Amino acid sequence: MQHNKGTKMKPIVSCRGITKVFGKGELAVHALAGIDLDIMEGDFATLAGPSGSGKTTLLNMIGALDHPTEGEVEIDGLPLRGMKKSGLSDLRLHKIGFIFQAYNLVPVLSARENVEFVLRLLRVSPAERRTRTDAALAEVGLQGMENRRPSSLSGGQQQRVAIARALVARPRIVLADEPTANLDSATTAELVDLMFRLNQESGITFMIGTHDPRVMQHSKRHIEMTDGKIDSDTRG
Amino acid sequence: MESLKLLAPLAWRNLWRNPRRTIITLIVVSIGLWSILALSSFMTGWTGNVRDSTLQLLIGQGQIHAEGYLDDPNIDHLMPEPDEELVAALNNPAISNWVERLELPAVLQSEYKTLPVTMLGVDPEAEFRISSVPGKVVEGRYLNDMDDDSVIIGLNLVDRLKTALGRRVILMVTGADGSLAERSFDVVGIFDSDVGFEDTYVFTGRNAMQRMVKLEGKISQIAFTVPEAEALTGVLENLSNAAPDLDVREWRKLSPLLGMMDTSMAFAVYIWLGVMMVMVSIGIINTQLMAVFERIHEFGLLRAMGLKPGHVLALITLESILLIGLGVLIGMFTAALTVWSLSDGIDLSAFSQALEAFQASDIVYVEIQPTDYIIFPLAVWAIGVVVALWPAWRAQKISPVEAMRHAT
Repeated sequence: MQHNKGTKMKPIVSCRGITKVFGKGELAVHALAGIDLDIMEGDFATLAGPSGSGKTTLLNMIGALDHPTEGEVEIDGLPLRGMKKSGLSDLRLHKIGFIFQAYNLVPVLSARENVEFVLRLLRVSPAERRTRTDAALAEVGLQGMENRRPSSLSGGQQQRVAIARALVARPRIVLADEPTANLDSATTAELVDLMFRLNQESGITFMIGTHDPRVMQHSKRHIEMTDGKIDSDTRG
Repeated sequence: MESLKLLAPLAWRNLWRNPRRTIITLIVVSIGLWSILALSSFMTGWTGNVRDSTLQLLIGQGQIHAEGYLDDPNIDHLMPEPDEELVAALNNPAISNWVERLELPAVLQSEYKTLPVTMLGVDPEAEFRISSVPGKVVEGRYLNDMDDDSVIIGLNLVDRLKTALGRRVILMVTGADGSLAERSFDVVGIFDSDVGFEDTYVFTGRNAMQRMVKLEGKISQIAFTVPEAEALTGVLENLSNAAPDLDVREWRKLSPLLGMMDTSMAFAVYIWLGVMMVMVSIGIINTQLMAVFERIHEFGLLRAMGLKPGHVLALITLESILLIGLGVLIGMFTAALTVWSLSDGIDLSAFSQALEAFQASDIVYVEIQPTDYIIFPLAVWAIGVVVALWPAWRAQKISPVEAMRHAT
């Protein structure tokens, strides 16, 4: 197993000895078995492995969506252990952007409203909200589609809205779990290019759980998992 | 406030994600409230109808008697005609009319039968203003004046005595000296009321009756009408002050059964409110549970985006507030429309025989009680929102990752 050797960058994510056990007794499943991992500022890391290897579970721990059974996760220097639910919500709001496999937009909100929703939670002023939302949608190539509801957008367009939403709050890290799994190859290529460009231009840290070799091709760092453990961690 | 501005539009749109379900819930809530308000309005009108009809017969809104008369209504408990002070109190503008009567137990005899009755000596002119009995004469005429020494009797009594208009009957009453006063009277009028009233009362002129029993200047009751119910307490107080030795009572104490009917009708409305609340609550819980369960995944997503558990609770509660509030408004509007459309009264003449037993008239005028239009809608709204808190509470308790495992 290889960790981030020789870098002087600050870790955005720091995992120490993370284990996650689902169930009890004989039915217990060890989804994560002692993960030590640092994700550095500006990383464009892919997390790969067969189904059941623990990719999604690890992303959930890092995203403060779930608690490890043992071990410690720190996001931007803040330990998650002992944090209350509302504190975890605040942390997700301010520091983490999510892109999920299913496009996961709020169906009753337009593209603009979906993106703007996060800024409203952050109590950004209406004028700034509008500017940042339109800029985020333009960035992902959805100018002119701001007022469309998710049902009138294609899968690729919906995923672009999800990316815009993940980025608009200027998070410290974007966690993406199989973001291209439901997309055709052309759309996948476009989205991977988009995320990579955002990483290059804005320095936003991406951690992407994926099986897709087209995504892995762009990664600066590739982490392989099997049976809840990190098999390899290489920088490309 | 900021959270409300964020969540309220989202809650409103969420209501219309499944318009069919929302409309069904609106129908349940609005029909529930409509039925409560409509029933309350009908019951209020019905109770008022029965109460007014009964009070208009003889009782009025109150009566004055000598102490002890109501417990033992005989000649030992009579009172003199009212003095100046009492007359002044009775002429209070809050009292629309008042009348003096002499009422004594008597025996009425025809050629075929003898029956116990109550003999009432009345002032016909005053009775026209205060009582509905003169208007109920269906054969012959009402009494002409206080010296009229003929009698008016009820239809059923005519049947039981096998007598008729124009025939003579004999009345026997205990006189002032304790001897039995007896004399014959012409039946000049027959009135049609409920059977109990028809069997009980026989009317004659007050002076004629006083002469018969040698009780000139004596009466047994003063009945009075007070059109404004709110003024009754003050009127009773004034009269008691003006005649401290007399027994001044309001209609509820004179006719406890009628007073109890008022209370029991209100109780019936509250029972219906309870039944409707259970039905509406089941409907709301069912709807909200479905609405919440279908969106568990979405709540997980919203939580992942940074929405706090309290926001999820607030969002679902807001949906309930809006949904039930809209149902309540529709229910109130339709109930008001129903009452307005029935403002000419509901004709129940098809049931007139049954209505007679209640002393009720054929037309029932539904009445809106303004307080009902505040209390019942608020009760439906509040209880609806409270029961909807349970699904909301469940939704906010679930962890984001658990929620997102639910299929979309």
